[in-house]
Amino acid sequence: MNNIIGIVNYGVAGNIHSVKKAVEKAGGNALVINSPSDFDLVDKLVIPGVGSFKDAMQELENDNFIGPIQEFSKPVLGICLGMQILSELGYEFGKTKGLSLIDGEVKPILCDGKIPHMGFNKINVKTANILLNGVESEEFYFMHSYEMVNYTDIIALTTYNNHSFVSAVHKENLYGVQFHPEKSREAGIKLLSNFVKL
Amino acid sequence: MTVRIIAKLDVKPPYVVKPVHFEGYRKMGDPSEMAKKYYDQGADELFYIDIVSSLFQREILFNEIEKAANKLFIPFAAGGGVKSIDDFSKMFDMGADKVVINTHAIQKSPGIIDKAAKIFGSQAVVVNIEAKSWNNYWECYTDCGRIQSQKDVSDWASEVEQRGAGEILLQSVDADGRCRGFDIELAKKVVDLVNIPVVVSSGAGSLEDIKALIEAAHPSGVAIASLLHYDRVTTQEIKQYLNNMMASQ
Repeated sequence: MNNIIGIVNYGVAGNIHSVKKAVEKAGGNALVINSPSDFDLVDKLVIPGVGSFKDAMQELENDNFIGPIQEFSKPVLGICLGMQILSELGYEFGKTKGLSLIDGEVKPILCDGKIPHMGFNKINVKTANILLNGVESEEFYFMHSYEMVNYTDIIALTTYNNHSFVSAVHKENLYGVQFHPEKSREAGIKLLSNFVKL
Repeated sequence: MTVRIIAKLDVKPPYVVKPVHFEGYRKMGDPSEMAKKYYDQGADELFYIDIVSSLFQREILFNEIEKAANKLFIPFAAGGGVKSIDDFSKMFDMGADKVVINTHAIQKSPGIIDKAAKIFGSQAVVVNIEAKSWNNYWECYTDCGRIQSQKDVSDWASEVEQRGAGEILLQSVDADGRCRGFDIELAKKVVDLVNIPVVVSSGAGSLEDIKALIEAAHPSGVAIASLLHYDRVTTQEIKQYLNNMMASQ
């Protein structure tokens, strides 16, 4: 079985426990990763993330995670901020370089609605993807003030107050979701189990 | 996007209790069992507030929070007695996705909001406002509706938004636990004033009360306690009712 799922533990701000619990519920064997030397032990990686782009990159750098994540060739799932930092640049508390694995930038959501965008919302699948199998018409929980601007790797969009933004991406071994599957009931567990089974 | 229906547990460990006007607690049940029940019923989110921690100035009972958070796969906000960034961290470690703060931020250190938002992100910082109505304004109360702060609700709501709070939980000391409808004027005032989500609580006595609140004030979420605790409706029924309401418009 290739279901040992490493959950990258970086920095002070983490919903690592929620993610771990959900990965286990989805049939994965969750392993919290505190150091890149443990990357050898896992079949896949989940990068959670709560906090700001800038702090997240700083913490990843402090813990020497940046190079090893960039070189990791097995499947990676970034959740929320964990997806955002896969991109080139972030504009939260100044301009910060991201992991530069996906061609995109992370900018504040500009729309008429209340920010943060918080609550359950639908996804609109743009490109069929194994990650979204069986959950194409489900709702997921969003909790964010920034969005990834990307034109090349979109698999799903979501609309909030007439504003459309990227809610899921896929490029090679990298997957990213702006919403929180670990907080999205059965639909989220299903998505995570799709990832576990990749 | 649909209005979030949130189940609110006011906890005086080890029980969920239900005060009327924030006083006279009745035991309603075990927090983790009730959390699981509302999760199974389809609640979008859960709020857990230890309502006596600040008032009795005792340490936060983190293990109670962990027990309640344990079986849920929906957002879980926890609060009551939060006084430091370390408390925020511990709450997240126990499984909270958001931390709710009131008393300490008003009485001692509003700056804790800025700090927490910077470290954990705005979306994780919820400010609880306990409003009491006077002739022509609302005043913020603390310590579970006990202590006056002399802060105008409008001023404080704007201030916490500027400081980086990601959400406001708006409760009414006057309407709470009475099940006679929300303070709609208060809700309108705050929802219209700030650009962050406002979750309105206190006063739901019927499905019609919830509808009236949503139509008049457009909150991002509604937090419900008594109505659910007394099994008068389930979260599923509320959501179904609101869906039908939207469909008929």
